[in-house]
Parts: sequence; C-alpha cells; structure tokens
Amino acid sequence: MNWRTARRTACGVGVLLAVIAPTAAEIPGLTGDTFTLAARSGYINAGDGLSLYVWSYADGSGPMQYPGPTLIVDEGATVTVTLNNELPVPASIVFPGQTGVTTSGGVPGLLTAEASPGASVTYSFTASEPGTYHYHSGTDPDLQIEMGLLGALIVRPAGFNPASPRAYGHSDSAYDHEYLFLLTEMDYFVHLWVEFGLPELVDTTAYHAVYWFINGRNAPDTMLEPTIPWFPHQPYNCLPRMHPGDRLLMRVIGGGRNLHPFHTHGNNFTIIARDGRLLESAAGAGADLAVSDFTIQSVPGQTVDAIFEWTGAGLGWDIYGHAPGDPLEPGEYAPDHGKPFPVILPEQLEITRGANWSGSPFLGTFGSVPPGEGGFNMNAGYFYMWHSHLEVEMVNNDIFPGGMMTMLIIEPPGVPIP
Amino acid sequence: MTTIPKKLRSPRVVLLAMSLATLTTAARGADIYLVAGTTTKLMPDGASIPMWGFALDPDFGGDGVVTIPGPTIEVLPGDATLSIHLKNNLAEPVSIVIPGLRAAMSPVYFTDGQGRPRVRSFTHEAAPGGSATYTWTNLQPGTRLYQSGTHSSVQVQMGLYGCITQDASPGEAYPGVAYDQQVVLVFSEIDPALHDAVDSGNYVSFGDPQVNMTSTIDFRPKYFLVNGEPYSAGTPSITAGNVGDDVLVRLVNAGLRSYAPVMLGAHVELAAEDGYSYTHRTRQYSILLPAAKTLDVLFTPSAAGMYPLFDRRLNLTNAGAAPGGVLRVLSVAP
Repeated sequence: MNWRTARRTACGVGVLLAVIAPTAAEIPGLTGDTFTLAARSGYINAGDGLSLYVWSYADGSGPMQYPGPTLIVDEGATVTVTLNNELPVPASIVFPGQTGVTTSGGVPGLLTAEASPGASVTYSFTASEPGTYHYHSGTDPDLQIEMGLLGALIVRPAGFNPASPRAYGHSDSAYDHEYLFLLTEMDYFVHLWVEFGLPELVDTTAYHAVYWFINGRNAPDTMLEPTIPWFPHQPYNCLPRMHPGDRLLMRVIGGGRNLHPFHTHGNNFTIIARDGRLLESAAGAGADLAVSDFTIQSVPGQTVDAIFEWTGAGLGWDIYGHAPGDPLEPGEYAPDHGKPFPVILPEQLEITRGANWSGSPFLGTFGSVPPGEGGFNMNAGYFYMWHSHLEVEMVNNDIFPGGMMTMLIIEPPGVPIP
Repeated sequence: MTTIPKKLRSPRVVLLAMSLATLTTAARGADIYLVAGTTTKLMPDGASIPMWGFALDPDFGGDGVVTIPGPTIEVLPGDATLSIHLKNNLAEPVSIVIPGLRAAMSPVYFTDGQGRPRVRSFTHEAAPGGSATYTWTNLQPGTRLYQSGTHSSVQVQMGLYGCITQDASPGEAYPGVAYDQQVVLVFSEIDPALHDAVDSGNYVSFGDPQVNMTSTIDFRPKYFLVNGEPYSAGTPSITAGNVGDDVLVRLVNAGLRSYAPVMLGAHVELAAEDGYSYTHRTRQYSILLPAAKTLDVLFTPSAAGMYPLFDRRLNLTNAGAAPGGVLRVLSVAP
C-alpha cells in the first residue's frame, strides 16, 4: 500500500468513526450551579517523578485534585460553592471577576470569609457574564495559591449550544474545540517546609520556582490521558487536537505568581477576550479589537481567550500530496491544492526521527519507519509544540524537556476528537 | 541652572493631603520647590529603613518633610510650563527626570578607572548642598512618574520618586475621561541590604566586591509598598467615592519589579497608559503594571462595600511575614 492509498484508508476509517463519535473537544469539569469543595492536602507527581505535597480543592468527598475542579456554570445562574476546610489552617475562596459575591458562615478574613479548620463557609454569586475565570484561596494567598488552592471557572453564555459552541454570545467566539491552559509554577522548598510542619520557614521573597505546570501537570505528563490511575490527584491533561480548518478556543489562565509567555507553534492565534470580556469597541460589536499574536503574555490572575486556526496556509505545498485534479479535503487551504512537495525526502538512514514522526510528510499518511521508531502518532497528524517561551520553564527541576509544554496535534479530517 | 528664582511661593502651591487620603503630600502649580533629603521609614515588623526622598518646601526654608513617595505634583489644567526647583541636601548629586515629558537633557558624565566616559546623570545635576531648576514646556495631560535621573539604579530604590499629574480640564483626566474622585497608588519595593549599604557608606560603585556592595545586581526586595507603606493589619482602607461614581485610579510603578494588581468584586476600564488615553477601553479586573509604567483605570462601583486590590504576583509579605505587601482595600460608600 503506497502512502496515498494508506491516507485514503485512514480517512475513510475516520469518516466512519466521525458518524458515531463526538467530534468536538470540551473542557472537562463539574457542571451545575451548586458545588461542594473540600480543601485538603495530598501529593502530586512532578514530571521528574518527585512527589510534591500540595493543598488543593476536591469535589466533595472525592480525591484532592490539582488544580481544583473546573467549575462550569451557565450565564445568569446563581452559583453556590460550599467549602469544607480539612486543612490545618483557615482557607477560603475568592472569585476574581465576579461581582456581588456573598458569604454565609465562616469567619471574617483578609479578602473574604474564611472556613476555620474543620469548618465550612458558603459563597454565592450570580454568574452575570460569560467567559473564562478562575478561583483561588483568599486566605494567606501568598502561600496558599502556591500550595495549590486554585481552579478554573467557566461561564457558558446564555443559549449555549454544545453542537455549535461559543465562548461568548457573539459569533466571533464560535469554536469547534476548547482547551484549558491553567498555567502555574511551584517552588519545591515552599512545599517541603509546609509538609514538614515548618511554614514559618517559608519566605516568599526568596521564591524560586523549579516546576511549571499546565492544568496541574508537567510535561511530558501533560500529554498523557486525563484521569489515569497513576495520576490520582492530577485528573486534567492538556493535549490540544484539531483538524485543518477547525477553530480551537484556548482558555489561558495565569494561575501562579509569575508571568508566562505562552507560545504557539504552527500559526498565530487571535486574542478575542481578556478577563472574561470580549475585546469589543462597543457592546455587541464582536471581537473587533482582537489581535493576532503568537505568544500570550499570561499575567498572574488574568485570563485570555484566543482562537487558534490552522489550515497549512503559507506552506506552499499540498499537505495531502494531492494531484491537481483530486478533490479538496475538508478545511484544506485551496490555493496550495496539488502543489508538489518541494524537497526530496532523505533516505531512512540519513535522518534521525522522533516518536511523533509518521514516516511521511503528508497529513493522514503513514510511511514506513524502522522497527522501534515512531509510534506516538496515531493518525499521522502534525505535532506542534506549545510551550512557555521563557525556556527555563521547559524543565522539571533542571531536567529538560519538561515543564510548561505540550503538543498541538493537527489531525487528519475525520479523525474523531476527542 | 543653580540659581533659584526668588519667586518664593506660588499662589497655586497648596497642600491637599487630607482631601486625598492616599497621598502623603500633594503640590499644585507650575513652580514646584522640592528638597532631596534623607529620612527613615519604620516597617511593620520593626525594621528601620534609611531612605532618601523628596520634600515639598515652597520657600526652601528647611521645613519640608521628606516623604516616600515624594509629594504628588498636580499641574493645573492648561499650564504649558512646569519648573521644578530642586535643592539637594544629600551628599551626592541628584537630578529629576519625568519619563514621558519632553525636555532638553544635558547628561553628566564621569570618567571611570579605565578612562572611559560613563553617564552618571541623565540631565544636569543639583550638586550636594546646591540646587538646580528643571523645566518642561509643551506639557500634556497625563499621569507620570518623576524620579531621580542620577545613578538611578541606586537613587530610585532609595526613594527618590513620586507621581506627577496634569488633567485636561478640571475633573477630566484626558479628553473624554471624566472622573468624580481620584486615587493615586504608587508601587515600589525595598531591598534593606541596599539601603543599609548606602547609609553606612558601604555602597561603593568601583569598590572591592569582597567588602563593598558594588552594584544592585543582587536586588532582593523584602518589602513591597503602596504609597510608601507595606500593608499591615492596621492599614486603613482608601476612600473611593460613592456608588456610581467614576473613580480614576492612577497606578504608578516606581519600583523595579512588574506588579499585577487585581481588584476583587469589579472590573475596571483601562483608560490610559503612560499618559496617553486609549482609543478603546478594555474591561479587566487584572492589570499588568511593569516598572516605570503608569496606567489610569476607571472604577465605577455598582455597589457599596470593600473592594480589595492586591498584587497577584503575590508580593503580599513583609520580609516573610503575611499579610503584608501590596494590598489595599478601596472603600465605596452608598
């Protein structure tokens, strides 16, 4: 079977699967309007195999998870979050970007009402505007955010239709797939001192991060499956996938204390919203103030929504290896249709290849690779690294590669996502 | 430039300390008289920090009080010219620059040990014990930082900074940016090691690194200030108008670090940056405020109550003790 028939076979299987499988990626989380979270301690796996002692939120009696559960609510809903504090210190939750948060129970604290150890507090607010937000501890936030007490909050717009989803009311925010990028970092010693019961030794003016996370995992664990038994406290992965021509919504949250320049390979994205507000010149104008860029300046506490698109435009060759008379694939960049691949591929003995190499430069086409090579590219897709461009953040405690990094996979048309 | 005009007291120089609760001192007018001198600041944990700062002293009579930050200078709307008359009570030269305002700069050089000319001051100096006048023409409205232009890596850290504003018209910061009340928040930080070295004479630029502090490369701040004070349990809230008011919050970073102030309970509108108003205002609850940046944001509270504003970079510590650092609460009345 040559590469072209292989491609057609692969695509045919994909189209068949598309009929029976969902074709949109949705951010996992807790839905509804009433939530019970528990602040609890536990251990997470760093990318180098180390166990880190953290404090974070659990879904009720479920396992502590880092980050805390992603709460997904509807615009206009009255959201109620009860916090049961199982930590040895007071804890709380604040919801930046939400107005009129009321509290019941608890004791007065620095930024909001707090739950004493063993006690509870309840927060309530109306999710008045759609968008990407986050929540975190308002108690000793200098320490407790670092320890892990944070999570994402997504407000779906009124009239949300999962079959044609939008991040905001306007069609400029329409997307095919959405992915969360909750960016955080950790200073190993802070966690060590707290684990040893010596929090008084923590001096955050000497803060020095050595681990960098997306959705609570370091690379390469970001690319593993979500909810796997050997990551019992890190249920969320981050492996964005899309087809050519799809619109991928990036919900980027600066969850830690440092700025992270989050960089996409493959193409620019368009920033359409910040802090849960569409970048619009007037109400209803759409994202007319949107900007195109290839690095999101992720600011602590800030959220950014961006739309990423990819068709292969600008490559100057046909990513499918079509002959000029062949039909177009869905989402294909038509001006390059039928244009020949511009270089002669080297022989197998002349190249070093990675685990994501399909054996062919053409999307959806497998080529032969030597035994033991490749194998991580299930659909003959294209892999683009997305990562913090502060390159020191691409390590796990000094071991490269790791840290704040993952891969975008451009999947051939018809491959089911997720 | 060392001759001080004998116009001793401008009729437009007034103190506004009480009406702007967040400010130490405020000065208005086209002729401002500042004295650079020393002071000592007490931190909440009892640490005593030797600092340098500016004092407002309209007649150079010696009764001005050095404050950190220096007095907020309000240039009246319509004034085209500003002159700052600076008397230097420090033991080394100082000067004043205002990033963002045009001025004829006259840099001052010294010759280093290898015979190379090196810039010491961005513009002409007031010698120790002497004075100098700095003049800006073609003024434009805006929120800006003024600071020492001499050996800035040390002198700015030591406290020689402040905020200077000019409105387009009374109650209107820029054309189309009207406000009912303003709050000025100046961010900065303190590395006690530098202050101690300077105060004890142990900061020596070309000294022995084994003995002296020779540069600021090991900058490690321990205290993080808003309007010259770190947060502590007794820090009062800041009055920020009434429900429905347009409160102009002028954010000024006089420090060396980027801050990320976050307001809880409301979004604000970003109205201007570095003294230039935006064509379109974005609504955010978080703001990136890099070093030397000024940002004007409009806060229009829809409900009475307390609105915390804190640094999301989590500089919420006083030398390791929390709560502290960059946290204030804006208080909105019904």
